[in-house]
Order: sequence, then structure tokens, then C-alpha cells
Amino acid sequence: MQGISFIRIIGVGIKSLRLHKLRTALTMLGMVIGVWAVITLVAIGEGASHDAQEEIKSLGARNVIIRSIKPPSMREQMQGDWESFFRRWMAIYGLKRTDASRIKDTVPGVTRVLPLMTKRMTAIHGPREIGCQLIGTYPYYPEFTQAQLVAGQFLNEAEENSKVSSCVISLELAQRLFAGHNPLMERIVVSGYESSQVFQVKGVLQERASIEKLAQLPDSVGQTIAANVYIPLSSFKALYGEKNVDRSVGHLKLEAVELSEIRVEFDSVDRVMPSLPLLSEALNAGRDERDFEIIVPIRELKALQKQKARDTRLLMYIACISLLVGGIGIMNIMLATVTERTQEIGVRRAMGATRGDITIQFLVETLILCLLGGGIGVVGGWGFAWVRHHLLHTTTIVTEWSVLVAFGLSVMVGLVFGLYPARRAALLDPIDALRHA
Amino acid sequence: MAKHSIIQIKDLKKVYDLGAFKVQALKGLNFDIEEGSYTAIMGPSGSGKSTLLNILGCLDRPSSGAYILGDDDVAHMDDKELSGVRGSRIGFIFQSYNLIQQLNVVENIHVPLFYQGKDISDHYDHCVKLAEKVGLADRLDHRPMQLSGGQQQRVAVARSLVNEPLMLLADEPTGNLDSSTEQEILDILDELHGEGRTLVIVTHDDAVAERAERVIHLKDGLVDQDIRKGAAKAVAK
Repeated sequence: MQGISFIRIIGVGIKSLRLHKLRTALTMLGMVIGVWAVITLVAIGEGASHDAQEEIKSLGARNVIIRSIKPPSMREQMQGDWESFFRRWMAIYGLKRTDASRIKDTVPGVTRVLPLMTKRMTAIHGPREIGCQLIGTYPYYPEFTQAQLVAGQFLNEAEENSKVSSCVISLELAQRLFAGHNPLMERIVVSGYESSQVFQVKGVLQERASIEKLAQLPDSVGQTIAANVYIPLSSFKALYGEKNVDRSVGHLKLEAVELSEIRVEFDSVDRVMPSLPLLSEALNAGRDERDFEIIVPIRELKALQKQKARDTRLLMYIACISLLVGGIGIMNIMLATVTERTQEIGVRRAMGATRGDITIQFLVETLILCLLGGGIGVVGGWGFAWVRHHLLHTTTIVTEWSVLVAFGLSVMVGLVFGLYPARRAALLDPIDALRHA
Repeated sequence: MAKHSIIQIKDLKKVYDLGAFKVQALKGLNFDIEEGSYTAIMGPSGSGKSTLLNILGCLDRPSSGAYILGDDDVAHMDDKELSGVRGSRIGFIFQSYNLIQQLNVVENIHVPLFYQGKDISDHYDHCVKLAEKVGLADRLDHRPMQLSGGQQQRVAVARSLVNEPLMLLADEPTGNLDSSTEQEILDILDELHGEGRTLVIVTHDDAVAERAERVIHLKDGLVDQDIRKGAAKAVAK
């Protein structure tokens, strides 16, 4: 006996499903939503994690950031003897240039160190005054932070002796201070508690999102300041001294910090974690209090990846449940269909259909429902992801595995939940089935 | 009387086991049906008429005895083999037409071939010819819902012919039709008989049985009377 062509069986299935279009559509809806949810949720999660990973990578996976923080003893209330009172009034702490050179000399695998001096100032141009952070650093700052120069050029040590000092400003400051005008070659006043200084803008730098924002840590001054003015470290020292002294207005407290930050670059990513103990050792030498913190982007990245794996597993559970619910809905409808089409089953049996033929027919109908529903779900999820990514500019990444899993699960659901109604149809006694009106 | 028998029934019994007690529906039937004959099976309800129909149609198996259809003993076939026999040797005509709602006229006629793995594209002309034969040439793509009862029964007749069966097996074929439509269908059956096809009709309607050459009356699971009109006519001559 020749086999029945599979395409014809599918044709029979489609004809049956078309007889009740609304019911077919509603039955498929469960599958559509299930598959759509899997793909969309995974795509959103993947996009968010991709963004976060990119940002952490942009901080430099090879880098370690060491930042000055006020040690606990200086945060206490003023009390006791004069010495401790003075220590709290004039808090001298933090990283020093010697730390930077010691790290470079003693920790293996370190290729470069980047010291940063910072000071809270106000940038003034015309009528606008914007609170900003003045940063003294080296010309290779952009390479370290992967910040992007959007206009002009970055700092150059050789220019320090010209009459007017030059500076580079961050894109955010440029937008707020110049409001659409070209800031290049314009002069700005950077004003602080004790002095004001004129700088000429020679470049605009776009910063990447900071590690603070990602790890949700407060930064050294308690808030993220994206309004930055960059000047050469040597100019910073010439203008404001070896130690940066910050004064809080209205308080009789001073803080003196030599370097607010040191960034350390290793020659490879693999070198970072093993070198951390040596790095700590180099920093702890000559310190009786810990007045710094170490931020390791690669560690954050790994934690994030672990978190991502957990999130993905959770999404998979949700997806499985929604597909299960869809599958039960389909089984319910197929059971109703079998009862409704009992007579048809009897006729087909009388016309020579074997039990196997009937099983396959109903199974194929269920599979068509699932695959069509799954297909629409895939297209819908993809479409949603496309709109979100391209029109709403939120990173959304459809992963192949989510499509495969969603589609594979819908096929499995079709097979599992289709088999019982199909067998029930096949095992009907043809005589009873024919008599059923 | 040297006509070849296509059906031989020998001591055919059917017992329904209802758990608490057993019901003997057929108590030992013996008869042959010759090729090209036109037989009506009659009997009151409870006579075993439906049981015999189911067994003749290979929808059910006898408890004992032999049922030879063509050259095969179908009494001991399994479900799959019986399906094959139904699809290739028997043409069913039912009281309630039993067309498949989602298929059009030509597709309905094709159904028995479908289950023999024969593609409709290869047999389309054959199916159309059968539709024309029963007078439905202008209704080829109509669905059963769009047809009258008589038209639906014509489709069913065409369907029963599509696999060139050994026997047409009709179960009260005019039971749902008005008298004028009944005549049309019976005329078609007469015509098929005239072409040499073998017809077995299960009915309780004397008007239907009248058209047959032979009437087998069942009573209490046994053959009560077996009247061959041809023979009777021959005797009358």
C-alpha cells in the first residue's frame, strides 16, 4: 500500500481548521502569546545585558580603578583631643603620586597608570553657570576610558605654557554651557572657592557611562558628574597645588586629597584578577587606614554574566509555563473537536482510514495550530524587537536560541498535547462514530 | 446459476458481551451473494440487521463463522487490514449521506482513494466523471451544506463508486429523503445494477426492497426468508 503524501495530510488539516476560523485563531492565540513572550523577554533581557556588558567593557576590562575615599575615622563627629580634632577639620587622605609609581613598578603586568586629580568647580560662559568637575590628567585619558573625542583634539602636554591654558570639556557640559553653539576656541571661566581661571576650549569629549552608574555605587563626591573640564595634570598642579583642597561652603572643614583616582591598565584581561592581591599590597604599604577603594570592571562583568544566566533561566521557566498553558488550551479545543467531529471520523474510517491515519490527521492539525501560532509568535517577537531596537533605540537582541527554544517547545507542546485527543479519535469505534449524529 | 459468488457467509455468529449477560445478535447465518446481484436485507429492529450490515461492511468482526469477501476471509483480519478492505472493496452509502463538511463535491468523492494513498490530482478527472454520472456536473466545488439532501446522497453514491468496489453497501439510502427524491436515488441504484454492479441494501422500506432481485428477511438473528424474485418470475413463466 502506498503512503499518503504528507503534504495532502497537511492540506486536510488546514481545510478542517479553516472550517472554524475564529476558533482556530483563538486557539492559536495561546501559542502566539507564549512564543512571543519568550522571544521578546529574552530579547529585552539580552539587550539590557549587552548594554551593561558593553559599558563595563568600555571602562576597560583590562583596567582597575582605584579611588580615594575618606577613611572611617575622619567621618566621625569632632570630639576628643586637639590632634584628632585637627585631623577631622583638615582631612588629609587618599591616593598619592607615589602610589601610582609604586603600582607601576611593583605589580606585574601593569602597562600604564593614569592618575587623576579632581576638583569641584563652576564653569561659566556668558550668562550660564554649570557645576562641573575639573579633572587634571594625562593626554592618554581617552584611551583609558574609551571616551570619544567628538570635536577638536585632546590635551597635549606641550601646550601648557601658552598664555591662555587650554582645556577639553565633556559633551554634556558643552551642550549645557553652549546650547548648540560651537564651543571650540571659546573661552570659559572655571571658578572655584579660592580662584577663577580662564580656559580655551580645544576639544569636546564624549564620556562613556561610568562604573558608578552601572554598579550603582556612589562616586567619590556622592554624585555622578558628567559635566567635566579636562586639563593637563601639570597645569592642575601649577594652578591648585600638589594637593587638592576642597572646602565645603558654610563648614569649617577642609579635605585635602592628592589624587582622587588612579586607573591601572594591565596587559591582558587574564592578568587582572591574579594581580589584585599584589595591587592591594602595593597600596597598603605605608598606610594605617584604608582610604581607597578598588573597582574591578572585569569582576563586575563576571557578576553581571552570572546574574544574566540566572535571569535567563527564570525567563525560561516563565516561557515554559506560558507554553504549557497554551498547550492545555489547545488540548482542550482538540478534545472538543474530536467529539464534534465523531461522525466525520466514522466516515473516514468507513472509507478506509486506519487508526494510524486518524491519529496522524489530528496530530497534524494540532501541530499546524502550534507551528502557525509559534510562527506568528516568532514574527511578532521579532517585529517587536525590531521596533524597539530601531525605532525606540533601546538595545533589543533576538537570540537564535530563544527562537529555536520557543519554536521547539511549541512543536513539543503540539506533539504532547495533540497525541491524547488524536489517539482518542483513532480509538473510537467506527460503528459508534457513524451512529453519532 | 453458475454465477460467481463474491460473498460467502457460513454459520456467521455474533455475540455481544454486555458483562452481566451475553446477547446473541446473529445465531448462524448462511448465504452467498453473487456478482452483479441486487439484494435487499430486511427485518424488524432487533433482528440482527444492523449487526449484519456492520459485519458485511467490515466495520465489525463476527464472533465465529466465515465471511469470504472476494477471495479473502475477512472474518479474522485485524483493524488495519479491515480498513484496507473497506477502502478498496466496499462502497458505502449511508442514510444520513455522511459527507465531510469541509470538503467540496469532488474532494468528497475522492476520500476513499485518499486513504489508499492515491493523490487527488491523479484522479481528479475520474472523480469529476462520477459527479457527472450522478448529475452533479455543475456542483463540483459546492460544499455539502450548499446541497439538498438528494444531491448529497448523489455525491455519496458517486463516492461509493470511486474505488471500483466489489460491492455497494447501502444502509437505508432513502431514509432521509422525500418520495420523489427517493425515486431518483433508487433509479440511480437500478442503473448501477444494470451496469453489473453488486448491490446490498439494508432497509425496512418495502418500496426500496421491491427494486431488488432478492430479499433476505432476518428474524431473531437467523435468515427467516430468502426470496429470489428472478427465480420466482422464472417459475411464473
